[in-house]
Amino acid sequence: MSETNLIIAGVGGQGSILASHIVATAAIRDGLRTRVGETFGAAMRGGAVASHVRIGKEVSAPLVQKDGADIVLALEPLEGLRNAVKFLAKGGLLLTNTHAWIPTDVNVGRAEYPSMDSITKAVEKLGGKIITIDATSLAQQAGNVRTMNIVMLGALAGTGKLPVSIETLKQVVKENVPPKTVDANMRAFELGLNAVKQ
Amino acid sequence: MGNEAIARGAIEGGVKVAASYPGTPASEIMETLAGVAPKLGFHAEWSTNEKVAFEVAAGAALTGVRALTSMKNAGLNWVMDMFMTLVYGGVRGGFVIAVGDDPDAHYSSNEQDTRFAAFYAEIPCLEPADQQEAKDMTRHAFELSEQLELPVFVRSITRICHASGDVELGAIQKLDRKPVFDKHWKIPYRWNVYGPPGPVEKHRWLHGQLPIAKKVVETLPWNKLELRGKPKIGIIASGIGASYAREALRKLKLDGKVAFLKIGTPTPLPEKMVTRLLKAVKKVLVIEEGDPLVELQTKALAKDVNCDVEIVGKLSGAMAPVGEINTDVVAGAIAKVAGIKLTEDKARELARAEISKLVAPRSSTLCPGCQHLGSYWALKQALRKVGANVPIINGDIGCYEQGGYGIAGKVIKPSTSTVSVRYSIDSPYETLDTNYIMGGGVGLMQGEFHAGYRDGPIVAVAGDSTFFHACIPAVISAVYNKAKGLFLVMDNSWTAMTGHQPNPTTGVTATGEPAKVLRVEDIAKACGVEFIKTVDPFDLKATTTAIEEALKYDGFAIVVARRLCTLQAQRQKKFVGKRMIVDQSKCTGCKLCVSLGCPAVTFKNNKGGVDPLLCNGCALCVQVCPTGALRAE
Repeated sequence: MSETNLIIAGVGGQGSILASHIVATAAIRDGLRTRVGETFGAAMRGGAVASHVRIGKEVSAPLVQKDGADIVLALEPLEGLRNAVKFLAKGGLLLTNTHAWIPTDVNVGRAEYPSMDSITKAVEKLGGKIITIDATSLAQQAGNVRTMNIVMLGALAGTGKLPVSIETLKQVVKENVPPKTVDANMRAFELGLNAVKQ
Repeated sequence: MGNEAIARGAIEGGVKVAASYPGTPASEIMETLAGVAPKLGFHAEWSTNEKVAFEVAAGAALTGVRALTSMKNAGLNWVMDMFMTLVYGGVRGGFVIAVGDDPDAHYSSNEQDTRFAAFYAEIPCLEPADQQEAKDMTRHAFELSEQLELPVFVRSITRICHASGDVELGAIQKLDRKPVFDKHWKIPYRWNVYGPPGPVEKHRWLHGQLPIAKKVVETLPWNKLELRGKPKIGIIASGIGASYAREALRKLKLDGKVAFLKIGTPTPLPEKMVTRLLKAVKKVLVIEEGDPLVELQTKALAKDVNCDVEIVGKLSGAMAPVGEINTDVVAGAIAKVAGIKLTEDKARELARAEISKLVAPRSSTLCPGCQHLGSYWALKQALRKVGANVPIINGDIGCYEQGGYGIAGKVIKPSTSTVSVRYSIDSPYETLDTNYIMGGGVGLMQGEFHAGYRDGPIVAVAGDSTFFHACIPAVISAVYNKAKGLFLVMDNSWTAMTGHQPNPTTGVTATGEPAKVLRVEDIAKACGVEFIKTVDPFDLKATTTAIEEALKYDGFAIVVARRLCTLQAQRQKKFVGKRMIVDQSKCTGCKLCVSLGCPAVTFKNNKGGVDPLLCNGCALCVQVCPTGALRAE
């Protein structure tokens, strides 16, 4: 494939923007042309966030086209579905964390949170594949719940669908997380990698 | 990131003074500049508002050094007075005005297209198609500015500002210019618009620069006409429109089969290139982000050079006049113009519609443990205590504006009532009744009072940065003209919403130097306000009491709810949260905790709870819980 289109979706504060920059930086380091487009709405924490990462020689626009995402990497399941329904290509992959961040709309009784089962069925209906991992628990296992985004990056690397080497990705992770958290982040990366490889 | 690219362009261009006020999507331009300013030896500042920032940069340019001011779309509205007048005498040193527009209003109260301001002011506008151009254009803008002795406008948009790509860097120019001053430089009374020969002659000079600018833009590398063979269709694509158009043409397999004019200067247009295109084709599609500036000018030009060519775009309805464009939208428009039928997978569209119903909305919220949650809770309680019937709560711009974002999942029926109507509020996100612009609320409240509105208390809210930006004249006017009402200032001592920039309440400058701390209550006192109370919004009881007293006060009252932004407090390790203990056997399911609006509060199986991963231990919910089901340790 000459072009890889990835969307990293999540809720503000989960680290999806950092994750997208790590992927993009790694891709550039491996000699690939890259574009990243971000949408983080008006909010900081608690709002829906999606980063579009496009890797390929002829890429010029910052946003993935409708039905154009090879992978939607979701740090939160509802956000995964929100982006998959619009962007996931036929045969594309939704790789999602299973830990939900319940929106206020649901808490105040004005909306319902979809079950994991209904999300799986929806992705299949769209002609896509789905892989689910409990990245939040794995991050806690790695020693810091905030490494969840790196667990998901490890999982993404584990799918083998990224045109970037695992070593470059790991190196860029090391350079972009706070020095004190490098070990926890490396553990998180490996846990994510192995969760998908198994 | 595009904003970093613009900053880099300014650094390569030898900027000496840069000034800005935070505003998404443009904030990172100054953040990037401020980060390196001390090391590279130039001045970078967060001014109190965009107008001051503009003047700071303009003043520097009058002394012959290079200067830049950056702002978001709405920020430009604040500078229009100075902007429209400064151009009459122009500048001596290169002066770049970098503006981040926001089509689709991702972070803004409107979608305004500021390229029209450049057209209005008769100065050149550069519009990048990607990050590389953002950097290169900004660098060149200083030279162009000095060549024309006029400010030069760089118009970016969210999809450039907040998008990233690889950029090839250039050398950093070390200019080391000594600032000089000459009041009659080339034109008598150059920097004093009233000085003889007066404004009309200076306007004539400004207008006389336009033909020169038109000649120059024909030679810039960012305007480029690709015309081979005898194509029937021509595309004119400005700024990021060119990036979308290239991908769309590839998708439609029309590469090289249409004439393509890429525009980097939407004003003035490279008229010779446009003319060549208009004479060569039968139909032209204009692709641009924002309003039809290029399309309007192209149509005007076509009347003189080729009346028969058909021109379509946003004016003709070939593309939607609102919202942002993208590759899909552009491909759709090109396909229509080229007579290509795009097939739609109907089964897939049906499935998509069905699945979309599953996607619950995620309304924007304040952060877990945000001090504004306490302020809003106290305001609601105080209004209840004074028996408020239909209060008017005027909002403002900042994190707390989320107090008016509503709950997306809640269906609201438009009302046609002829009397004041009271609505139930389930969460702090339904508190604000009006909201427009920086400092707007405290002005509106006075009009509501002077109109004679007495169906309920009149309140305005604003943050600390907003107070300094735009509220002070309105506070003085309220005192002077005897308006009555409550002005609640939610002071978290940072400009938080735009990504935590310092302001006069913070105690540091843009470059991290210690600075004098100004207090809202001191300024209010100096403005003549007689009722001023300062409270801690984490103390719900004290905050409620203060607001209640202010609501009962017969005059203009200010309550300052001050507590350091919770994210800053955590970053600076100035706040250690408590551990929340939930005893669900005591929970009656009253949902008061939910109505606090904290994202860490959960509600499942008719019982309240706390998400330990999100909770920061502020214990506001403990103060709200009437049954003791929530405790803090």
